[in-house]
Amino acid sequence: MVSRLAGESPIVSNLGPSSDELWHAGHRDRNFYTYGNMGLCSSIALGMAMATDEQVISLDGDGSMLMNLGTIASIGREKPKNLTVVVWDNEKWGQTGGQTSHTGMGTDLEQVARSCGITRTKTVSDLEDLEAAVSDALKTDGPNFIVAKIEEAEYLPVAPVEPEFTLYRFRNTFVEPRKPGQ
Amino acid sequence: MSWAENIIKALKDWDTSLIAYVPDISIDQVTSLIDKDPFFRLVSATREEEAIGIAVGSYAAGRNAAVFMQSSGFGNSVNALASLCIPSRTPIPMFINLRGGPGEFNMAQVAMGRAVRPIMDQLGLVHFTLDDDRNMEKILDGAMKLCYANRQPLAVCLTQLLHGGKLA
Repeated sequence: MVSRLAGESPIVSNLGPSSDELWHAGHRDRNFYTYGNMGLCSSIALGMAMATDEQVISLDGDGSMLMNLGTIASIGREKPKNLTVVVWDNEKWGQTGGQTSHTGMGTDLEQVARSCGITRTKTVSDLEDLEAAVSDALKTDGPNFIVAKIEEAEYLPVAPVEPEFTLYRFRNTFVEPRKPGQ
Repeated sequence: MSWAENIIKALKDWDTSLIAYVPDISIDQVTSLIDKDPFFRLVSATREEEAIGIAVGSYAAGRNAAVFMQSSGFGNSVNALASLCIPSRTPIPMFINLRGGPGEFNMAQVAMGRAVRPIMDQLGLVHFTLDDDRNMEKILDGAMKLCYANRQPLAVCLTQLLHGGKLA
């Protein structure tokens, strides 16, 4: 759904299921799948938003976001109009055995975002509200911060993604590809 | 040209205009110039691995980016280098205030300062160390060329002998 609403907008996806789901939703060269660097999904998206005027979407996770709460403060400081962060919040670390994350024990990421000066925030818990929130975010100056409360689902197969191909396929939609010797 | 102006020139010559950094009193001699120069966009990160993430995002969207940090903060950035930059082959020039050398007054800065270059070696990444500004323009130009040709992060370590450092 996010992929459909995004059109040609760049999307960065967190390692694991966020990237696998995005791949299986239909590959596009403007998908930046990550498979390491836990915690940096929205930092990468912030850097993109400062390099292009296009709308940039980050598909982050609660565990990763908790690892790098400072980047919410940086987004609040820079206030890029063209950045939308969606945090898939299942209140657990799904990839490491389903241990309860801090959002399952009271941490409210929407309130964290608000306290960092991000005013366009929302928490949604069904698909209809998520679609409305993302659709609205992409039409309005941000930064936008959406917490999507989700249930654990079955995992899709790991996407066949190569980091170097991902980066240069993505980058080549913004610049002329490198020529030999350059 | 001062050592700081040499770095500005190298960044401009290689069209590297987004600078993500974590503040440092010695590197402030460069970042304060960057902040006043409309060619650059200076982004303050809360932590060094975040600065690497921001720089990778900028490069991915077509704008070359560099990172400034202190050697203690390099320790915070290692997994970002190992699990993001290296597998995706992202050229990120890093300018590091290398603590822990001659003149260091703070024992808490010594171990990480001494470990920066061995860690870079273990990761297979190139680094240069500048103790003075002899041949600096040539070394910086060559370092930037190598960084973009090799498409991997590269460190330029700046010591207290070069920049004067922080006094106790």
